[in-house]
Amino acid sequence: MARPPAALLQGTLDLLILKALNLGALHGLGVSRRIEAITRGTFLVKPGSLFPALHRMEEAGWLAASWGNSENNRRARYYKLTAAGRRQFESEVSQWERIATAIAYALQAT
Amino acid sequence: MSLLRNLFARSSVERDLDQELRAFIDLLVEEKVKQGLSPAEARRAALVEAGAVEHLKDEVRDVRRGAVLESTWQDVRYGLRLLARSPGFATLAVVTIALGIGANSAIFSVINGVVRKPLAYPAPERLMYITSQFPTLNFSKFWVSPPEYFEFKERTRTFSSVAAYSTGAMNLSEGERPERVNAALVTASMFDVLGVKPLRGQVISAQQDLPNADPVVVISNELWQSSFAGDPNIVGRQVRIQGRPNTVIGVMPSGFDLHDAKVQVWMPLALDPALRTNRGSHYLYLVGRLAPGASQAGATTELEGMLRQWREWVGTGHVPNDSTHRLQMASLQDEVVGNVKGALWVLQGAVLLVLLIACANVANLLLARAESRHREFAVRTALGAGRTRILRQFMVEGTVLSVFGAVLGLALAWWGLKYLLAMNPDSIPRAAEISLDPAVLLFTVGVALTTGLVFGLAPLLHMGDQAVSQAIRDGSARTTATMGRNRVRRALVTGEIALAVMLVIGAGLLIRTFKNLTTVDSGFDSEGRLTFALELPRATYQEGAQREQFVSGLVSRLREIPGVDRAAGMWGLPPARPVSANDTEFEGYTPKEGDPPANVDYYQIATVDYLKTMGIELRDGRGFEPTDATGALSVVINEALAKRFYKDQNPIGRRVRPDGGPNDPWFTIVGVTRDVKQGGLENPAGTELYFVFEQGVRAGYVPDQMNLVVQTSRPAASIMPAIRSTVAAMDPTLPIIQMRTMDAVVGDSLVRQRFLMQLLGIFAAVALALAAIGTYGILAYMVNERQREIGIRMALGAGTAQVVRMVLRQGVLIAAVGIVAGVVGALGLARFIRSLLYGVSPSDPVTFAAVSLVIAAVAIFACLVPMRRATRVDPLTSIRGD
Repeated sequence: MARPPAALLQGTLDLLILKALNLGALHGLGVSRRIEAITRGTFLVKPGSLFPALHRMEEAGWLAASWGNSENNRRARYYKLTAAGRRQFESEVSQWERIATAIAYALQAT
Repeated sequence: MSLLRNLFARSSVERDLDQELRAFIDLLVEEKVKQGLSPAEARRAALVEAGAVEHLKDEVRDVRRGAVLESTWQDVRYGLRLLARSPGFATLAVVTIALGIGANSAIFSVINGVVRKPLAYPAPERLMYITSQFPTLNFSKFWVSPPEYFEFKERTRTFSSVAAYSTGAMNLSEGERPERVNAALVTASMFDVLGVKPLRGQVISAQQDLPNADPVVVISNELWQSSFAGDPNIVGRQVRIQGRPNTVIGVMPSGFDLHDAKVQVWMPLALDPALRTNRGSHYLYLVGRLAPGASQAGATTELEGMLRQWREWVGTGHVPNDSTHRLQMASLQDEVVGNVKGALWVLQGAVLLVLLIACANVANLLLARAESRHREFAVRTALGAGRTRILRQFMVEGTVLSVFGAVLGLALAWWGLKYLLAMNPDSIPRAAEISLDPAVLLFTVGVALTTGLVFGLAPLLHMGDQAVSQAIRDGSARTTATMGRNRVRRALVTGEIALAVMLVIGAGLLIRTFKNLTTVDSGFDSEGRLTFALELPRATYQEGAQREQFVSGLVSRLREIPGVDRAAGMWGLPPARPVSANDTEFEGYTPKEGDPPANVDYYQIATVDYLKTMGIELRDGRGFEPTDATGALSVVINEALAKRFYKDQNPIGRRVRPDGGPNDPWFTIVGVTRDVKQGGLENPAGTELYFVFEQGVRAGYVPDQMNLVVQTSRPAASIMPAIRSTVAAMDPTLPIIQMRTMDAVVGDSLVRQRFLMQLLGIFAAVALALAAIGTYGILAYMVNERQREIGIRMALGAGTAQVVRMVLRQGVLIAAVGIVAGVVGALGLARFIRSLLYGVSPSDPVTFAAVSLVIAAVAIFACLVPMRRATRVDPLTSIRGD
């Protein structure tokens, strides 16, 4: 039995998607797989969360989508970061770091 | 941009989404095949991993801006289709909502027109209304005298202009046909104060407002149209008013009025600014416009200060002061709307209750329907429809219902209100302002949407996850009732009954009030009496003797009409006429500290046969006799006056006289009558002094306007033509004013109370009907749901009586709790209705008991059909079920 994937913290999904796409354009399944890889299998993003999030971020102007061909020549919808998305990614990263540090301090406190 | 795309290029967005998800699954399959699964296994695994695709699409659509709009439209169409499929349900729901919303729109349109809408003058909030008060005489609102007007106007700094006026009716004769018109005698400053320019010509100038100036008149647009056919040369034309020629100098714009008096002609008051005597003659109302920068509070402070200084300005005599003769001000708007405001808010509260009941009923209907749609929703949920989407559909369906209801309700409100107002003219001020304006429409839309959302959400009360899965598992709805669900429904019906109890109690109290008022002892007999008024213009009847002769002659001619038993003339028409409050000298009475001031509330001047013609009983002494016409000056007093000024002494033979010079004649009291209502049936009768009309010349006053009354045993309509021809034979130029039965006079004095009672009665009836339907609905539903249980009980030997008891117990329990809650609520609301009641306490036990019984009876009646159905349950079929 595999270890059950951790529940996503509220707000972390956006950050993970931005991170995944920061490394290059991907289709939906690609985003899911890349998140799985970069979190070493901790987070499995289900399509039920993934697609609404992708579309929401596209509406917000952080992502741009276009149809392209996959490595096996399949038509798929590819997402990539826009300039606004890049800025959003940077601000979310710094915010996350602040939270992570704060939580770490909190847990070390005696 | 993307909003537009999403809305208008729906199919391409949908296609994109479809392809994207299909590609996703294909990619997933490929991945699994690479991992070594067979294509079929790979596809199955991929589909499982992808989850509920429809649900996923829903979520994505919702994410897309505009998605909300679009799916709402879908819901609307779906809702309409559903309603069309169950017309019975739809009709019942729409009619219920229409009653609730219609009642609210009707009352709001009245409040909007009467209370909310500003008066039709520029900056109406700057207009103040100034009246006087005589606290020791119990007059809380009285007129102002001309010297007081001048003194106030000269000294005020907080008003930029002040005007005085009095209103009345006058005879306008244009050619041969006389006409009765509403007149306002105004100072020239009135037009500045109100700030309205004439449509044509000029308004009254300061010179035209002086005594002995050439008579001029400004007419209303309405009169110009109706009586002068919009004559373009109206300015400069001569018209006869009160028999005197007046020059028309201007026409006011349409709708221009003062204090809802429906003024048709505006004429100069022609006060002499130099004349400061006659300080006690109060007959003016003042209107002032606040100076720029001045506030109402500032003006009030200034007025308070003036009341303390007035004595220094004037010296001796009757002057305003801060104890016995105060001046007060209120905004003109508050003054016009006056005491009807409280009644209107009570009505608005009442219709809100009706709306709540209607909502509860529709919510219950929707709940019941949701029961039967249980499986539809369960299936949709299982297919992946989100909870929010189902929730939204409920709300949209509710809104669709309430929008239909609102349209029907608005129509109902509009025609119903028109009808009721036509039936009760003059029951509320500013009735002409009541219209379907944007504010009313907005209010209706707001109410409709809110109610739609509220009862639309009702079915959600049991749409929990459990309900969904259970519905699927059940297959059919033949289980015993789910307790939670029924608790909600029962609570709704109980609440309905409680609200209905409150409304019906309110209506009951008003009905008792009205009944008390109609049976109140007015002191005279109105049955079989017919009355009308005449005004004798000074131009023709300048001398008192001429007027006396005319009226005496008319009375004797009226008496000769076949069918007329008696006839008489009177100055003031009971039971509702303005107070006269005359200072009067009682021989040997000098009021000490704490004694009532020597003042009589009502003077009456009547022909000798008056008391008998009106059926007014004598208490002591004698009434007037024909010999009094030429005999010693005599008066009759009423019991209230005897009690106030003579206490235990015998008033007969004592002398009184109107406050005047020392050389004025004394009048001897010859009799005491029962009290006759003069200030309205709801008010205690004031003190009254009767003078003999036929002694008028000797007494020094013969009125210009008289009311005549005839007593007849024949139907009023058969006597009227003879009366008209009798008057016309004596003077064809005299218009007969308001010929009607005394019963109608009494009825008209109660028009507002009647209007209020009718409205609240209608609302209470609607509430009662809705509550009955609600009670019936829940019991019928319960019997239906428990059919199997009832069947088993019967199979086990339960008799009809037990089944009946079971159903009845439910009904009685609901009704009992509702009635108790309603009674408690009504007691809590008692203070709001207190001011509208007469002769009945707001917690009147008789009304409360009667209403509780009626509601209980209605509730039990509502149980009958379900009860019968319960006893007819066939054990075999019900147990076998499906």
